[in-house]
Amino acid sequence: MTASADAGAALGAPVVQITGLRKSFGPREVLKGIDLKVAQGEVVCVIGPSGSGKSTLLRCVNLLEQPTRGTVSVLGVEVTHPDVDIDRVRTHVGMVFQQFNLFPHKTVLENCTIAQRKVLKRSAAEADEVGRKNLEHVGLADRAGSHPAQLSGGQQQRVAIARALSMDPALMLFDEPTSALDPELVGEVLSVMRDLAESGMTMLVVTHEMAFAREVADRVVFMDDGQIVEEGTPAQIIGNPSHERTRSFLARVLDPTHKHD
Amino acid sequence: MSDVSVALPLGRTRMSPRKRAKISRVVQYAVLIAVVAAVAASTDWSNMREQVFNLDAVQQMAGNVPHAAFNTIKYTLSAFAVAFSLGLVLALMKLSSVRLYRVLATGYVEFFRGVPALLVVLAFGYIVPVAFQVRFSSITVTIALALGIVSAAYLAETMRAGLQAVPKGQVEASRSLGMTSGQTMRGVVIPQAFRLVLPPMTNEIVLLTKDTSLVFAMGLSASDMELTKLARETLNSSAVGGLTAFVVVGLAYLAITIPLSALTRWLEKTTGSKGHV
Repeated sequence: MTASADAGAALGAPVVQITGLRKSFGPREVLKGIDLKVAQGEVVCVIGPSGSGKSTLLRCVNLLEQPTRGTVSVLGVEVTHPDVDIDRVRTHVGMVFQQFNLFPHKTVLENCTIAQRKVLKRSAAEADEVGRKNLEHVGLADRAGSHPAQLSGGQQQRVAIARALSMDPALMLFDEPTSALDPELVGEVLSVMRDLAESGMTMLVVTHEMAFAREVADRVVFMDDGQIVEEGTPAQIIGNPSHERTRSFLARVLDPTHKHD
Repeated sequence: MSDVSVALPLGRTRMSPRKRAKISRVVQYAVLIAVVAAVAASTDWSNMREQVFNLDAVQQMAGNVPHAAFNTIKYTLSAFAVAFSLGLVLALMKLSSVRLYRVLATGYVEFFRGVPALLVVLAFGYIVPVAFQVRFSSITVTIALALGIVSAAYLAETMRAGLQAVPKGQVEASRSLGMTSGQTMRGVVIPQAFRLVLPPMTNEIVLLTKDTSLVFAMGLSASDMELTKLARETLNSSAVGGLTAFVVVGLAYLAITIPLSALTRWLEKTTGSKGHV
């Protein structure tokens, strides 16, 4: 569709391919025909005003929302096909939520091992080892025995990332991972995500963190009113947007009086 | 606007709210003491001592109490086992996307909530054996099924509320890790719901404990006797002081139910506080 999308495809078969995606909640159409590709190893940030459909788009990728029309393929599997084994696809797609959604009745380590054991059928010892390794990556190896409620928001979100990574995913989805955090805790989560991007993980990130998008994203997608208005490199979209809607959104978000700076 | 303050009732003659509350409390206490005193004064204490608080009678029946208490507990626990498993199935049916399941579960709950437990016990004692040509080998099985089936109707509603109280994000996180809906239920939703329904579930066990007295309707042999039946038998067989049996048995019930409440509080404290965000 655009030059950058073609460039992404050149890296290999797309990890995510979305075509003509529409989603309605009752009479309200939230996604009005979305086409998007994410290539292997690519980091794509989706930005846009609240209510523009960013989160819904992300949730359609692992079918937390059932698309109304269009097709979504993930890792070569068409997840919109009626006969798809979505549990199998989800095993390879990690998701990080705005509200963390850690399991409060499990310890930090158990949060990272439960799905490994139940879905991947790993032994307790192997699951523990993988879980601890990933907790170490996010800097929380020493909190393995804690319960989520004993951690700060930033720590909880890092555990949520470790939990997703413990499944050895081929794709990571981030749904506004820092929006529920106190400002001083945002940095620690973004730095984990930056490391992850540098390690070559394919990432689709819905975010309001423009600095993160500018620095880490290979491609930025601007959405408004259920449509992709424009997409391109961070320099193009954040530095020099071509659409008025993008400009006015960025002006609002990047306004120095705004709390997110 | 400016005359609002003038309209405020600041008359010096009114009592302050605190003073009024104090006087009201004094009146309440006075009434309470008067009622207690009136009841105590009109009681025939010497007769009571002989009939209701008769220590000889206590000694006579004391030997039978442990066995009867054991039976009460046995009936309660086995009925609760039935109620718990059946109630969980019904709760899941109520939340099912299959309409037929929801309708069946709702019908079940409405039926068994509306019918007196005694009627169900009688049905199990007399109608079920005729209808299905079965005879339950032990009274425990009969009472467990009869009371369990009734209690399940109440527990189903409690459990449904508990399952629904677990945030949607928990299910989404679990499903997005690739866990099936069954794995999500067992590993994520039910353990959290269990904690939420612990207090109302205790309530249900306490009610069950007392409902086990309904077995009297089925005619028990001496070895199957539970607390209430024991009290009635004692009353029938002893000449004087038989009413004491009710006091003894009442205390025995309390000895079962009060530790149960304490156990729940302890469970809540040890499992609950750490868990929730």
